[in-house]
Amino acid sequence: MARIILAPALARWLPGAPTGVSGEVALELHSDRLDHVLEALFARFPNLRGYVLDEHGEVRHHVAIFLDGNAITDKSRLDQPLRDGSEIYVMQALSGG
Amino acid sequence: MSDTLLVSTRKGLFTVERDGEVGWRIAARAFLGDNVALALADPRDGSWYAVLDLGHFGNKLQRSSDRGATWNEIAVPAFAPGDEVITGDGKPPVPAKLRLIWSLEAGGASQPGRLWAGTIPGGLFRSDDSGASWQLVRTLWDVPERNQWFGGGFDQPGIHSICVDPRDARRMSVAISSGGVWRSDDDGASWRQDAHGMRAAYMPAERSRDPNVQDVHHMVQCTGSPDAFWAQHHNGIFRRVASQAEWTEIDNVPPSVFGFAVAVHPRDADTAWFVPATKDERRIPVDGKVVVARTRDGGRSFETLTRGLPQQDAYDLVYRHALAVDRSGDRLAFGSTTGGLWISGDGGNRWAQLDARLPPVYAVTFAG
Repeated sequence: MARIILAPALARWLPGAPTGVSGEVALELHSDRLDHVLEALFARFPNLRGYVLDEHGEVRHHVAIFLDGNAITDKSRLDQPLRDGSEIYVMQALSGG
Repeated sequence: MSDTLLVSTRKGLFTVERDGEVGWRIAARAFLGDNVALALADPRDGSWYAVLDLGHFGNKLQRSSDRGATWNEIAVPAFAPGDEVITGDGKPPVPAKLRLIWSLEAGGASQPGRLWAGTIPGGLFRSDDSGASWQLVRTLWDVPERNQWFGGGFDQPGIHSICVDPRDARRMSVAISSGGVWRSDDDGASWRQDAHGMRAAYMPAERSRDPNVQDVHHMVQCTGSPDAFWAQHHNGIFRRVASQAEWTEIDNVPPSVFGFAVAVHPRDADTAWFVPATKDERRIPVDGKVVVARTRDGGRSFETLTRGLPQQDAYDLVYRHALAVDRSGDRLAFGSTTGGLWISGDGGNRWAQLDARLPPVYAVTFAG
């Protein structure tokens, strides 16, 4: 089981998303790979894909994904393994603000 | 005259409506805080479209079928793996990714659902389902001359002007910064360069007349005389009056031939408006005075319109999509980089400023 959290700046673009008090979306998903978690997320929120990834499947320049506290550095390699209980944060990078 | 104006700004889309005989007011605000690059009011079905250029999350398109009361996200143009941006100014090739939807226009009356979008990098995209899906127009993307285009202001070239001939929607022209003017007479099946006659002062002399390097800032077509075009170019103003003719340079424009915006009267091809600025690297009003240059005789002479416009310490720049004329030809509006918005109901003789401190204005367009 992995826990994935979408920052409020992302969650506000997702119609019908179950946002928390502070506006974020937090979901528990069964998967052992980062790309599989993201695909499950995109299946649930189809428009989210274009916010996180560009048209070539890379994480957008100004989007950051933290996996268990560390930002992923290769934005085109998302087949990273997860451990049981992994936490994934998807957020806007401050650089784009 | 149109009583509704869509104002796209750095911090939202504002619907500005006429309020009584002389005043205007902000009637609605959408996407507050978000960067709205452009809006389109489709004259065929009344739909409104808004281009959002989100700094973190890319470009998004929103559509409203109830004049802005509600909005729904639709698809955006996308490049395919292997599409490359190759430019003529020596930059290394890079994968093509959508940077900005820089122009959005409705197709012809006989083409329900047809939209055209021009992008940075220089792609033209077509939709036949009101923006639910988009296809890159590969016939233009694949012209060999594209490799000589280059960015003007932006890193990469882009299509900012799309003119669909009201007599026959299969005939269209697009203008590129910097790549001249490209024309199709067969609904985009084939294209030819159509910027002959333009002059690029920023190029080496032997390349200055090359149509494929012309930095058109904006191009407009006269609805009532569709063979007539006006273009505000990086180093001048150009006009073309017949479909086979070359562009003619107009150099007697006070106070400057530099600027971004141009509008043409919808029935009188000899009447056009510009908002000049100090060229080229300064980009502020000449002498701190905001003025509109108007010709009513096809560019033989110009008037400098100032009534109601700030004439001291004004540093407003007007971008290419930020000047609009309505279908009557009498009502005009323009917005500036410092948030000024001016509206005229008499062809530009007198202007009234909206009583608001808007965010930087990127585009204005009349709705209905």
